[in-house]
Amino acid sequence: MAFGNSNRIRPRSVRRSLSLAACAAFFTPVLLTQPPGPSSFDTPESREQGRSLFQTHCAYCHGARGEGGRGVDLTTGVYRHGGSDAELYATIRNGIPGTEMPTVRATNDEVWKMVSFVKSIGAGGVVESAPGDRVAGKAVYDGKGKCAACHSIGAEGGILGPNLAGVGRRRNLAYLRESLVTPEADVPVLYRAIQVMPKTGPPVRGIRLNEDDLSIQLRDSQNNLRSFFKEELKEIRRDKPSLMPAYGDVLNAQELENLVAYLSSLRETL
Amino acid sequence: MRRRVFCIFALAAAGVVVAQRLPVTYERLLHADQEPGNWLMYSGGYNSWRYSRLDQINTGNVKKLKAQWLFQGRSPEKFETTPLVVDGVMYLTRPENDVFALDAATGRVLWAYNYRNPVSTYNCCGKVNRGLAILGNRLYMNTLDMHLIALDAKSGRELWKTAIYDYTLDGGYAATGAPLAVKDKIIVGMAGGEHPGSGFLDAYDAVTGKRVWRFHTVPQPGEANFGTWAGDSWKTGGVATWNNGSYDPETNTVFWGTSNPWPDYNADARKGDNLYSCSVLALDLDTGKLKWFFQFTPQDTHDWDATQIPVLLSGEVRGQKRNLMAWPARNGFYYLLDRDTGKFILAKSFVRQTWAKGFDDNGKPQVIAGNEPTVEGIDTVFPGVDGGANWMSHSYSPLTRLLYVFARDERRVFTKNSVRHLNDGEVSELNTASRPGATLQPAPANTGIFGAGGNLPAGPNPNRANPRPARFAPEESWGKVVAIDPLSGETKWEHKVISPPWGGVMSTAGNLVFGGTTEGMIFALDARTGERLWHFSANERVYASPISFLANGKQYVSLAVGDVLMTFGLE
Repeated sequence: MAFGNSNRIRPRSVRRSLSLAACAAFFTPVLLTQPPGPSSFDTPESREQGRSLFQTHCAYCHGARGEGGRGVDLTTGVYRHGGSDAELYATIRNGIPGTEMPTVRATNDEVWKMVSFVKSIGAGGVVESAPGDRVAGKAVYDGKGKCAACHSIGAEGGILGPNLAGVGRRRNLAYLRESLVTPEADVPVLYRAIQVMPKTGPPVRGIRLNEDDLSIQLRDSQNNLRSFFKEELKEIRRDKPSLMPAYGDVLNAQELENLVAYLSSLRETL
Repeated sequence: MRRRVFCIFALAAAGVVVAQRLPVTYERLLHADQEPGNWLMYSGGYNSWRYSRLDQINTGNVKKLKAQWLFQGRSPEKFETTPLVVDGVMYLTRPENDVFALDAATGRVLWAYNYRNPVSTYNCCGKVNRGLAILGNRLYMNTLDMHLIALDAKSGRELWKTAIYDYTLDGGYAATGAPLAVKDKIIVGMAGGEHPGSGFLDAYDAVTGKRVWRFHTVPQPGEANFGTWAGDSWKTGGVATWNNGSYDPETNTVFWGTSNPWPDYNADARKGDNLYSCSVLALDLDTGKLKWFFQFTPQDTHDWDATQIPVLLSGEVRGQKRNLMAWPARNGFYYLLDRDTGKFILAKSFVRQTWAKGFDDNGKPQVIAGNEPTVEGIDTVFPGVDGGANWMSHSYSPLTRLLYVFARDERRVFTKNSVRHLNDGEVSELNTASRPGATLQPAPANTGIFGAGGNLPAGPNPNRANPRPARFAPEESWGKVVAIDPLSGETKWEHKVISPPWGGVMSTAGNLVFGGTTEGMIFALDARTGERLWHFSANERVYASPISFLANGKQYVSLAVGDVLMTFGLE
């Protein structure tokens, strides 16, 4: 399974900048920026400006109305890293190291305006309720779906797909359904499938771990770490960006809903 | 250059650069010398020779050595790591406790693991880490907040995390060294000898992470050798185990060095030999029971830790074949011990020394008066505060049968006071809750380092009438690679460098000795003569020891310089 990055709706440049921002968050020390004093941006005007900024910086993952998708549903009013003004500011300003939440490249004033908007949409939200049976969904996960062959929940399971610990908090129901039925719709950058065709020897399929102009690194379908110089390759195929099978062909509608319910119940992160 | 690389690469099966064989079994570790293309543990093998059997790079072609790739550490901390290499995959730590898997041929990152320590940790000398151990499919790392962590070597996924000790107690503990994986155990040392704690060496189950045994480096009441500390001073005696050790499979013995007693420069309250400080311990791997110990510096007052890496070899001494341990010590003497019994064989100085006129038959030094630290500061004591050798790795070459030591030969000042100095910026009161009887006071700012004195920084000092700079003219201190005949202790050659080093050395079957200086000059010496055959000006401090390995059949040499891991290969 693959749950993540969409290339359907975002222009390439935006995706790239987000990816770079994520990389920056990953490799640079956290900026422990102190938020400036009490917010003076909690006004209707600021909220409207915040809404606009939210579309630019946040909607890709959190949805146009903050309803979630790739990112957490912000309409619940429940924030794992704190819901105070200062905590929301710090989360937006600095990102959350070790997660997909990057630093946001905006001025301090703009960040405060986004805080104002996020607070407004989180005032009366409710947590989505999955219609399926999560216990039956776990049986699908462990049995017919063979999900653990590629995915982990915490320290147990496969490593070819993203770790699903906390996926129910990060992804909404629609996103989970889509990922099961159309896995290639949105594949996280660290889990994109490729197939390398050496000039000699058999092709190798796996997920791309790293790449530059001269070489490419991947984890093959047997979980081995592999690296190839491009000069030794006939071709690199990227036309099937997910290793995950389309589960609409494997599971019936009820099984899918049950699996979605189970995945949605996975709220604890590592 | 590129064409040559690809030609060699083309020889590899199906264009595969990385074809990793996991698990790394204990059998593989035991015979690490049979896998010269890999670097499977901190010192290369259980005998801690830090010697590579690779000879593609040799005295005849080393002039063609070029930088091949860099790993950018992006950390302001000292980069002390020794990477591991397993079949084309390199694993290394980056300060504070991040782990990376790299393609060893290109340096490209395969996976990364980020560990977050608390903001305040209690490391004496930088938020450093010296590397990993591998056993099975797991990598092991010690952390600054005193945890042992197991990672899946294929993915970097954290498998478990075991608390070693409460890192906030007794002025603070940290774990900075690389673990040592032996059989089914992970041997873990701790740092904290600069604080009033109590040291230990631990063994953990490699699969579950549960502690199997703990050896207290200060004998506890009822244990053998208790009573070598005056009064209650044993309770705050320090004696850390902050570097790596060695293992003898024939006797199932782990050898590990211990640090200074605390407070470092003032023994007024801790009369006695202060066992097992500044010693090497021989412990049964399965039980952690002490087989023997040898103390290099009884009642140390100069911070002359014995946390060097034990080098295990065999040879003929006085007509008899013996299993030996070679030990260039921080106190300036090279020691040769019988490693089956711990019996002293010989000691000879390899740097300037002023404190011992000789040794008795048991290796106890005959101390020369007038070398003790003073309140005013004494600058006529050799070796200096950081010793003749320190934690940096030595190397032994079976080809030349020489032991290579990157030694510090320097003039420093030793002072003594009655207070301790906490970590930089730390203002908290001494935590004596777990050590009843501790009566020492926190130090005022700028009055010393490491507990009751030390090499004082320049500037006013309340304990000294005539403050003087702690460091001296460069020409009074230097570094040198010393080639010692381990059986006789005789120095065969010396290669002098301008500054006392913080990096170790590695010898190779190409008859080369690699290392890096404080100025960042990476060098290769002729192992037979000490002549410098090659250099590269990396222009940043070296705080690490080199390794060598194969990727795609080609030999590389890696060394951390500044915050960069540099990797060299032939054109």
